[in-house]
Amino acid sequence: MSADRLVEHVTCLGCGCSCDDVTVRVVQDHIVDVAPVCPVGRAWFGDGQVPSRVLSQGGPVTIEQAVERAAHRLAAAKGRCLVYLGLDLSTQAQGAATALADQLNAAVDCATSDTAAAGLTTAQRRGRASATLGEIRNRGDVFLFWGVDPSDRYPRFLARYSLEPAGIQVPEGRRGRYVISASIGDDRGLGGADSTFALGPEEEITALTLMRASVSGNPVTAKSPLATRAAEVAQRLVGARYAVLVHDAEPSAQQRNPLRVEALVALTQALNGPTRASLCSLRGGGNRVGAESMLTWQTGYPFAVDYSLGYPRSQPQRRGLAGVASGRYQASLVVGAIPEEHALGFSGLSPILIGPRASSAPFDTSVAIDTGVAGIHDQGTAYRMDEVPLPLRPCLVGPRSTVDVLESLAQAVQDRLNSGAR
Amino acid sequence: MSGTQLRLVGGTVYDPANQVDGETRDLCIEDGRVVPSLPDRAPSLDLRGMVVMPGGVDIHSHLASASCNHARRLLPEEHAADPMPLPTLVDGDRARSGTGGTVPSTFTTGYRYAGLGYTTVFDAAVAPLTARHSHAELDDTPCVDGGIFVLMGNDEYLLRQIAAGERERARDYAAWLLGSAGGYAIKIVNPGGIEAWKSGQRNLNGLDEPLAGRGVTGRAILEALANAGHELGLPHPVHIHCNNLGMPGNAEVTLASMQALTGRRAHFTHLQFHSYGGPGWKSGAAQLMDYVNAHPELSVDVGQIMFGPATTITADGPVEYLLHRSSGRRWVNIDIELETGCGIVPFVYKDKAAVTALQWAIGLELFLLSQDPWRVVLSTDHPNGGSFLSYPALIQLLMDRTIRDERLKQVNPKLLAGSALADGLTREYTLNEIAIITRAGPARLLGLKHKGHLGVGADADVTVYSRDSDIARMFATPRYVLKGGSLLVEEGQLRRAPAGRRLRLAPGYDDAVLPDLRRYFEAYSTVSFANYPVQGIRDEPLPL
Repeated sequence: MSADRLVEHVTCLGCGCSCDDVTVRVVQDHIVDVAPVCPVGRAWFGDGQVPSRVLSQGGPVTIEQAVERAAHRLAAAKGRCLVYLGLDLSTQAQGAATALADQLNAAVDCATSDTAAAGLTTAQRRGRASATLGEIRNRGDVFLFWGVDPSDRYPRFLARYSLEPAGIQVPEGRRGRYVISASIGDDRGLGGADSTFALGPEEEITALTLMRASVSGNPVTAKSPLATRAAEVAQRLVGARYAVLVHDAEPSAQQRNPLRVEALVALTQALNGPTRASLCSLRGGGNRVGAESMLTWQTGYPFAVDYSLGYPRSQPQRRGLAGVASGRYQASLVVGAIPEEHALGFSGLSPILIGPRASSAPFDTSVAIDTGVAGIHDQGTAYRMDEVPLPLRPCLVGPRSTVDVLESLAQAVQDRLNSGAR
Repeated sequence: MSGTQLRLVGGTVYDPANQVDGETRDLCIEDGRVVPSLPDRAPSLDLRGMVVMPGGVDIHSHLASASCNHARRLLPEEHAADPMPLPTLVDGDRARSGTGGTVPSTFTTGYRYAGLGYTTVFDAAVAPLTARHSHAELDDTPCVDGGIFVLMGNDEYLLRQIAAGERERARDYAAWLLGSAGGYAIKIVNPGGIEAWKSGQRNLNGLDEPLAGRGVTGRAILEALANAGHELGLPHPVHIHCNNLGMPGNAEVTLASMQALTGRRAHFTHLQFHSYGGPGWKSGAAQLMDYVNAHPELSVDVGQIMFGPATTITADGPVEYLLHRSSGRRWVNIDIELETGCGIVPFVYKDKAAVTALQWAIGLELFLLSQDPWRVVLSTDHPNGGSFLSYPALIQLLMDRTIRDERLKQVNPKLLAGSALADGLTREYTLNEIAIITRAGPARLLGLKHKGHLGVGADADVTVYSRDSDIARMFATPRYVLKGGSLLVEEGQLRRAPAGRRLRLAPGYDDAVLPDLRRYFEAYSTVSFANYPVQGIRDEPLPL
């Protein structure tokens, strides 16, 4: 792969949009350009350079030695291990790591934020009404952005998936869509909307509840500015041919009311009586949605799974990282890139780290094996925020395949468990 | 016992495809296939007194799709109640634990199908946009060979070709789509009705109501895709879920759909859900089965409901919305761009509920009024009518009139007046007929020449049952199950869990369709044309 080249149709995992129309220009094995340009994507691709070290207790070892030491540590701690699925992993790598968790009677958790997790458990309680992004683009004629301006964290969401492009039912693009924007406290809404309003955090659940009452056919007789506003928005949504409610399922600086997502799900479901509607939950990148999908098909649960009894159990109230602080685990295997907000959680546990830039982790590791970034170096599949699976087209040769390392580790662990030599 | 040779000695063989009806025979297996003979020193397994059949073939299940995964996620309480610890495998196979319920985790699904004696399973409804997901799930579903049926009956590009009268382009597109998805058959769900749901028309009422602004009817969609399947030489004809599923009086549109395809092969799936006479709720089974009996080009699977928990999963979005509204239960709806929809509602069929009692009776009527078991396949539309784990109980209802009549006395009789079952159907299925409706028949309807029989050259997929007066127990716990000659189940215990083989097709087409298709993708799809086809599927396409 040393020749200069253009690699087309590359899937970017910079955010949950997972745009798969990216062309990457490679010169002398460095990424020098990506197009279409998006700041989040550009930062995610960088120049594509990752280290290629293999360390044990901070010193260089061979990959075979590293795998053996990791297997020894994990097998010895069987039943008291954590497997953590970080970011920038293919779904195949996530699956291989989960197989290890099963072998080790480990807890397995992923980079799903607590805010996003609240959305997943809400969907378990109520269901949901949603759509793939193309459906939103092709049909949505009334949009309600609830406390989110996607421009910052999901830069191409508006241009590629929602407001701006022409859709089959909305050939005028943005001009054919009516956009309502709600700011909720510090969670500001979309600029340039056709209608905007602001609510205090303490008002949002009441507003969403009133809207649901209205779209369900209950006359809103309450006399207050909030009730009036809610009734107006509800009327606009009911008048849509296809309404789209957009919210950020990832955390923001403002403390999120945990009832927000439930109220949005309920409102969207109710809207499907008088018209059609879907809720679009914006999700972060790095294939975190793929981890939830894979965990669901392998275990039945999308995050926070515990194999310690020999089968998967859902432990949403006992997230994996929380257990690190409480000393629940004797060993941990961290696979993939660690979200910044989670990095501190591993301090003091000296995890085994397998993933891109593992050797540069900001905490001590017992074993660190650098591998490639899914989508830049590693092939496989990743999931968009709407759970559409996409192929990964590597544009650079990586240090080593994450899946290969995990499969070697699984075999080494199995050999130790079979021989009784933990 | 997993060597390349094995002689199965002295079993009572039911192999209807080869006209073997309960004969004591030896079966010789070498390198995964049935062979005429083996050397005397070949290892053997004593099956004297046991019942031997080909491995089961499930023509219509929902086990490996994005929709199934949405349903799985919706059911944590079922998973918690039904954990599946690691089975103890031999030969160094690494087992996986999992969870059950009506939509089990993938590994558990494979293990439980094998434990039931089924060795080939198809997921009957996959949106091509998410076919990559289905193949990933199937990669994690061991023990069974399998494939997917590809949803086409509400596809935007196809609707455009039909509206424009571009019959040949519609066929070429169907071929491209089937190959791109790695699919095995064309599936139609509520032709036109899902697009109506998504576009605000809510649904189509009958076969001839046009989609607003398009002029395309369900009839036109049926005809276009049935013709495409025929012209492409697909081994399984179009697999049709008719309009108006679950609605009283829908037998009329079902019959009209069958008549629309007169003279053309077609498979009508989960017919029970489409066999409601009207006005009000009553059985339409006799009318429909009369038609099926008289038309050898048609086949059906029944989609029996079984009392107990189920999870309804279908691309038929409008029907799930109505079920949600009428039952008050949790509801998932996912609109899938340019292609189809997805609806999910967990449900419980109660014998004291009049409508579900009628549904139960209608399914049994379809089985019992059928004159040709080769064209009437056993299914519960897993998990819509009940889990595949309820097949043994269903077989018992078919084989044992006494038990069936006792069960009938326990159900709500309110809507059963005039039903054939209530009037007394005395038929009892034989073991040979069970072998037809659970393996030989579906394999033949799928065009799987190496499945569903035990003749020389067949895949060595074999299920062995210990005779038992309790038919349900007999079929729930096979003594041995072989797949490709490998003993998956020994003495009732899962011992091996090899990966299954992917059954898929890649029909040829005129690539003149591609430039137009590329333009369409660039205009309306959010997935690049180059990234749409699934690459790297485990096995090569089967020859056509």
